[in-house]
Amino acid sequence: MLVPRKVKHRKQHRPDRHGMAKGGTKVSFGEYGIQALEHSYVTNRQIEAARIAMTRHIRRGGKVWINIFPDRPLTKKPAETRMGSGKGSPEWWIANVKPGRVMFELSGVAEPVAKEALRRAMHKLPMKCRFVKREVGEA
Amino acid sequence: MSEVRINVEQRTAFGKGAARKIRRAAKVPAVLYGHGTEPKHLTLPGHELMIALRTPNVLIRLAGDGVDELALPKGIQRDPLKGFLEHIDLLLVRRGEKVSVEIPVNVVGDVVPDGMLEQLMMSVPVEAEATHIPQGVEVDITGLALGTQITSGDLPLPSGVSLSADAEALVLHITTKPTSVEAEAPAEGAEDEGESAAEGSTESE
Repeated sequence: MLVPRKVKHRKQHRPDRHGMAKGGTKVSFGEYGIQALEHSYVTNRQIEAARIAMTRHIRRGGKVWINIFPDRPLTKKPAETRMGSGKGSPEWWIANVKPGRVMFELSGVAEPVAKEALRRAMHKLPMKCRFVKREVGEA
Repeated sequence: MSEVRINVEQRTAFGKGAARKIRRAAKVPAVLYGHGTEPKHLTLPGHELMIALRTPNVLIRLAGDGVDELALPKGIQRDPLKGFLEHIDLLLVRRGEKVSVEIPVNVVGDVVPDGMLEQLMMSVPVEAEATHIPQGVEVDITGLALGTQITSGDLPLPSGVSLSADAEALVLHITTKPTSVEAEAPAEGAEDEGESAAEGSTESE
């Protein structure tokens, strides 16, 4: 599972969930991709589940790119704990995804196979997504 | 390559309010610069511009409202979800002048069985005459053996067009398809979750 090797601060503020993706909004490495249509925190478990769903469907051949990395920790207080006594302990690693972001890319397979593989991967993700293709020849 | 004529208007109101008003009227705010001239702020019709931009590196003849110039699209800003044009930067060019542009690499043909195409460069930077920019460069991969590499120096560029990238830069190569075991292996950079995560944290609690 994707986890940062080293972090500067163990606990961080919650990332903001406003605005659109500023970069990474196009399919740049592969031929097909999954684009987020909503804001969401994507955990490393969800990324891994989506990757496995995709690779199991394409079986042999094809290359997968993961364009997001879960570099933000989210904390959680234990159940039945009174408020106060400081911030909870890190519980999840998440990637803060904004609308427009291409999260996964795929190449080396036929379009119907890619569509089905990415559809399966989308079911593992916490937001509305869509299938996108690389735009050819755009200036 | 033929040029596309687009009627333009000079822009006098600036800022996000004015720009949004232009976009509501199905037009696109633009800026034209180059050759050391003062930048010109323009408004272009959205639909005509969108159709023109389907051609890579399209040469645009801007006409009307005291403007008569040739330009190339330099930077295009689009809405990431809806795809409509938000703003365009146009670079002023002169007839016969050499310009640096990126042309798309179009792959044709099928890969050999058990082979997989890995394309590392989707476009290559070239220098060409502004009025004769090729729409792309074609690479035929039919029958290429496994392990074949095509570098930017191998690309068949038309006459009058010179490569401005490193000739040794890898454009594409044919690799063997990964086995299902390789494909399902954990992603790069993956580590065991748990105690090892965030090891070496500099913050003390």
